[in-house]
Amino acid sequence: MKALVVYPNKEALYAASTLGEYAALAVGDAELKAAEGAPVVYNVRGDPRDLGLRISAVLQLAGQYDVIIMPSLKETKTIGGYMSQKLNAPFITDVVSLRAEGGKLLVERYVFGNKATASLRANVPAVLTIAPGKFLGEPPKASTKVVELSPQSAGLFRIAGVEPKASGGVRIEEAEIIVSVGRGFKKKEDLAMAFDLAKALGGQVGCSRPIAADLKWLSEDHWVGLSGHKVRPKLYLAIGISGQPQHIAGILDSRIIAAINNDPNAPIFQYADYGVVEDLYKIVPILIRKAAELKK
Amino acid sequence: MKIAVLVKPALDTSQLRVKEGRVVIEETPLKINDIDRNAIEEAIKLKGNDKAYAISVLKWPPLQKRIQEAENLLREALAMGLDEAYLVADEGLIGSDQSATAKAIAAVINKVGADLVLAAEASIDNYTGQVPPRVAAELGWPLITYARELRVEGGKAIAKRDLEDSVETAEAQLPAVVSVTREINQPRIPTLLAIRAAMKKPVNKLTLADLGIKPDVKVELVGYKPVVIQRKRVIIKDGTPEEKADKLLQYLRQEGVI
Ligand SMILES: Cc1cc2nc3c(=O)[nH]c(=O)nc-3n(C[C@H](O)[C@H](O)[C@H](O)COP(=O)(O)OP(=O)(O)OC[C@H]3O[C@@H](n4cnc5c(N)ncnc54)[C@H](O)[C@@H]3O)c2cc1C
Ligand SMILES: Nc1ncnc2c1ncn2[C@@H]1O[C@H](COP(=O)(O)O)[C@@H](O)[C@H]1O
Repeated sequence: MKALVVYPNKEALYAASTLGEYAALAVGDAELKAAEGAPVVYNVRGDPRDLGLRISAVLQLAGQYDVIIMPSLKETKTIGGYMSQKLNAPFITDVVSLRAEGGKLLVERYVFGNKATASLRANVPAVLTIAPGKFLGEPPKASTKVVELSPQSAGLFRIAGVEPKASGGVRIEEAEIIVSVGRGFKKKEDLAMAFDLAKALGGQVGCSRPIAADLKWLSEDHWVGLSGHKVRPKLYLAIGISGQPQHIAGILDSRIIAAINNDPNAPIFQYADYGVVEDLYKIVPILIRKAAELKK
Repeated sequence: MKIAVLVKPALDTSQLRVKEGRVVIEETPLKINDIDRNAIEEAIKLKGNDKAYAISVLKWPPLQKRIQEAENLLREALAMGLDEAYLVADEGLIGSDQSATAKAIAAVINKVGADLVLAAEASIDNYTGQVPPRVAAELGWPLITYARELRVEGGKAIAKRDLEDSVETAEAQLPAVVSVTREINQPRIPTLLAIRAAMKKPVNKLTLADLGIKPDVKVELVGYKPVVIQRKRVIIKDGTPEEKADKLLQYLRQEGVI
């Protein structure tokens, strides 16, 4: 099968290479660099944020490819839906496994808030986004042939401004130990306890959606869950988090899950290896002290 | 401003029924997709003296039972303040991919008319975020996704798009399709009076034939497998906070994670 990678990164290029022949579309210099090593790279000069430009480029090339593969991002979901409708093609997001069989694609993805996997057999052409961390191979390196392309933007909207988001400088997906905080914390200042505990354990601080999205006590790079980051630490310690399915969806791959909650009926205890029923304000200071002692 | 709101009767994933290692869709209840309530709220704020209506496409079997269930859910949307609802229910849509869903939605919009289409960033059961872009493509209208703020001014939708590491200000000429995030507003809880009034508002039922659409299946479901979560579920609930802390640290050390 022939695959076209859009928003090229290593995982998407590798996923495409497992299906056969492949090419990449690059908009702007950063993507041109990321696509290096792909046999063919279509180079579009223009604003990487212009979704209409990308859509036009893909629609122009789509006839030559069976599958469009992209990393799972908000922008790839946006253009993926739009292009699929124009191509009358299926759009399958957050794919965790992928292979070609008898001219069709066999794919798996999580559904129902990551409580089940769906196995699907899709016709081509198809558009896919791949979940992070599931296609971790090395794409073969070819000498790249660059083809210049100058499509007209389909113009979905006009960009009137861009503000970068605040960052807490964490890469929560890579943390081995995560101390994660939820609405059980009453004030922003109280999060200092979680940072102290994380420091004593040698970990990072994560959080539930309301802490980042509604209260904005932490930047979004800390946010764990279905709509946040998917994490896979050795230890995930959830403090004052109730354990709603959308939160659990982000921590399924953790090795050990521990939870502290003062409500013995909190759902998080169903998903935890070790659960402590206690007021976080009483136990966390003790844990900080004891964890620091263990280190010595 | 006339507004169409896309309201998905979604599987209530917190009540997912699993029997003998199989997901039993037929016995899992439906609910209004959570974030669609934010889209409804935004529509009620923006509609002014014009009307705002819901469009729902049924995707889950068994059809007959689900029609009644979806109608009850649409009464909730009407109680929040929408004026009427369109429910597309057809065997041909059960198990179809989202391209037929988008065609059905676009057909209703073409029939009833709209200056603005509001939807949510994603549905809880599928979580793909593809239906709003598909509807925009089908209608040939501008599209703004992931809006966490929205206003309409001089015939334009102006929104803050909430992306992973930046916020974009986007402008699009109406008519347009906009998908919103959970953070855009706080959905209202209908009063008893509004709930009673909603019983009298129209819920119009449509089939694919009414809309002149033929579905075709491009994705075949091989099966659903429940994700089995096997955790030890050791609960520490007795003793002083000090003793509990000791126990937890001891377990975590035994596991070799600290
Ligand atoms: C489509 C969709 C996507 C979503 N995506 C995400 C996501 O990616 N990530 C996410 O986290 N959520 C997500 N959510 C939201 C999710 O449904 C929950 O609302 C959220 O996870 C709840 O956060 P919480 O556990 O911090 O708060 P709450 O549910 O309010 O829980 C607070 C907990 O703290 C406990 N507590 C209170 N005081 C104390 C104390 N003194 N000591 C100890 N414990 C205490 C309480 O018993 C309670 O269990 C999503 C929702 C939707 C609809
Ligand atoms: N079957 C449906 N009926 C009505 N609206 C839908 C349907 N499916 C999706 N939508 C709308 O599109 C949004 C995103 O859904 P999805 O693409 O399934 O993640 C939902 O929140 C709804 O606003």
